[in-house]
Amino acid sequence: MRVLVIEDDRETADYVCSSLLALGHLVDHAADGKHGFLQALDNDFDVMVIDRMLPGLDGLTLLRSLRGAGVTTPIMLLSAMDGLKDRVDGLEAGADDYLVKPFAFSELSARLSALARRPPIKTEETHLRVADLDLDLLRHTVCRAGQAIAVQPREFRLLAYLMRHADRVVTRTMLLESVWEFNFDPGTNIVETHISRLRNKIDKPFDRPLIHTVRGAGYSLHG
Amino acid sequence: MARPSAPKAGGLPTSVRLSLQFSFLYAVLSAVVFAMAYWFTQYEVHDWVIDQMRGDAGTLQAIYQTGGAAILVDHLNALAAVSFEDARVYQLQDASGAVLAGNIDLPIGRPLPAMIPADQIAAAGSIIHEVNGYWMQETPIGPYRLIQGSGDHIVREVLEALGTALVLGYLTVIVLGLVAGIRVGRITEKRIAAILNALTRLSDGQLAVRLPVPAGGGDDLSRVSVKVNDMLDEIAQLAESQRQIANDIAHDMRTPLQRLHQRLERLRATPGVAADEIDACLGQTRDIISTFNALLRIAQLEGGDRQARFGLVDLAPILSTVIDAFRPVAEDRGIDLRLSDPPQALMVRGDQGLLTQMFSNVVENAIKHCPSGTTVAVDGLSDDRTIVVRIADNGPGISATDRERVFQRFFRTERSRHTPGNGLGLALVKAIAQIHHGTVSVQGNNPGAVFRVEFAACK
Repeated sequence: MRVLVIEDDRETADYVCSSLLALGHLVDHAADGKHGFLQALDNDFDVMVIDRMLPGLDGLTLLRSLRGAGVTTPIMLLSAMDGLKDRVDGLEAGADDYLVKPFAFSELSARLSALARRPPIKTEETHLRVADLDLDLLRHTVCRAGQAIAVQPREFRLLAYLMRHADRVVTRTMLLESVWEFNFDPGTNIVETHISRLRNKIDKPFDRPLIHTVRGAGYSLHG
Repeated sequence: MARPSAPKAGGLPTSVRLSLQFSFLYAVLSAVVFAMAYWFTQYEVHDWVIDQMRGDAGTLQAIYQTGGAAILVDHLNALAAVSFEDARVYQLQDASGAVLAGNIDLPIGRPLPAMIPADQIAAAGSIIHEVNGYWMQETPIGPYRLIQGSGDHIVREVLEALGTALVLGYLTVIVLGLVAGIRVGRITEKRIAAILNALTRLSDGQLAVRLPVPAGGGDDLSRVSVKVNDMLDEIAQLAESQRQIANDIAHDMRTPLQRLHQRLERLRATPGVAADEIDACLGQTRDIISTFNALLRIAQLEGGDRQARFGLVDLAPILSTVIDAFRPVAEDRGIDLRLSDPPQALMVRGDQGLLTQMFSNVVENAIKHCPSGTTVAVDGLSDDRTIVVRIADNGPGISATDRERVFQRFFRTERSRHTPGNGLGLALVKAIAQIHHGTVSVQGNNPGAVFRVEFAACK
């Protein structure tokens, strides 16, 4: 995918850009808000990464300007600010996701993939299917290889999220935010325990596992 | 945060109470003044009357010496005839006690001077009712005995006039005092209401609010308000600079932490390095970051950063989400984590995310410290005014001396020193409760501990 990184801290920009390049993405970089704005208008990106504090034109103003100019590209806001209102302010200004520094690259990468390949909003999504695993969103039923599997409501939500992001990495914090609406990281291994329960139901009775652990990053569901 | 309950409204305003107290004091003082005036008046008037009578006696003696007994009798009868309002009574007796002249019908035998009641005098002519008694005295003139008496009603009339003046004055003072008191009270009441209103808003975190100071008002209330406003300016400045410092630290530490993390990640990807060592470093970095984030969040909350988006929040679904999240972890540890179904919505005004984190921290704390085979029970109760959420366990409990301290930053009990965690979870719980005007406390559960979070209910 093609990524625009607007970040003034050279070391962070360098690391983010080179790491994205190493994953095979096309990366453009701008070191201040004005150049970033022009580049964002000139080219077609799959996703943008914008630092909240930028020289010239600050991140929030840049965001509003881009949205005002009709740019609908998914945007990830990076911030060194973690006040009670900062996240809401960022999302209200038009960001699609918000990541507080310091972050792990794997977190950024997983979230960017989720943003860039966010499926177009479908009005009638009733079924999810990955390999031989079926999930009925209306009846709240799960079956694998034609065999019905009983899952609890929260496990259903977890599985649906994994299936919607099939073939991509989802991190612990992405799961905490979307499945439990926890915008914080409890020290306890909640996610690991739930995944383990889910594996016992989805994977254990079958030959081929679908839920995979991505070391140091999170989980990925694929056939 | 325990807020002192507001004093009950409906008592008399201070100024009215003061004016009532003042008029009572005035009444007591008037009574004292009256008593003193009575005594002095009686004493002085008596003295004056006696002097008058002595003067008269001297004149009558001179008349007897120059004119003889017959002239004296004439004189006395003349005096008795013109005695105004029976104020003066006379009697002249000879040596045997027979009455020779005067307006007293009955002979006075008793020794004088004395006070004699009016009905024992039986003065000639009408006895007016104002006279209750007479001061009587006698003077020897030649062989005769001159008896004089003077009515006591002069004293009473003087005292009556004095009493009337005092009572009228008293009533005037009460009426004027009350009217003035109520007027002043209304004005003062309005000002105090305005001040109370400002203080309430201040304690709700609106640090920009100032107490009203009327133009040109140099009275005590205005002076106090001005002083309080000066203080508030300083507090606002301190809060602002604290916020600024927290923001600066946050920004200036996040960037180097970001770089540190990046370098470690990059190093981790380099072939031939001690991956385990670097993973350990990355783990430590994450610990630093999480402690840093928790400390910063507590500072933001304690610094009165009311930037949180408060809205109507139902605690019931939050509790069930939190219990849902932790139940498998609890089960793996052999702990029975359960939620008694709250009978209704538990509505409070607050920030959904913060409240979720608060209950998550309390539940996590309970699970962390309870051994296998224990129960952690969560319930939420509400009445019209308050919502109470209890997280009760039958684990090892917290010693009475530690119960207050568990909410302090970095405090860890002897037993918990070796469990993972940064010692900030419950401090954050307290900070979140406080920003919601709630309280959090822990008590014994015989055995175990009960955490109790209390909020004002919202309808």
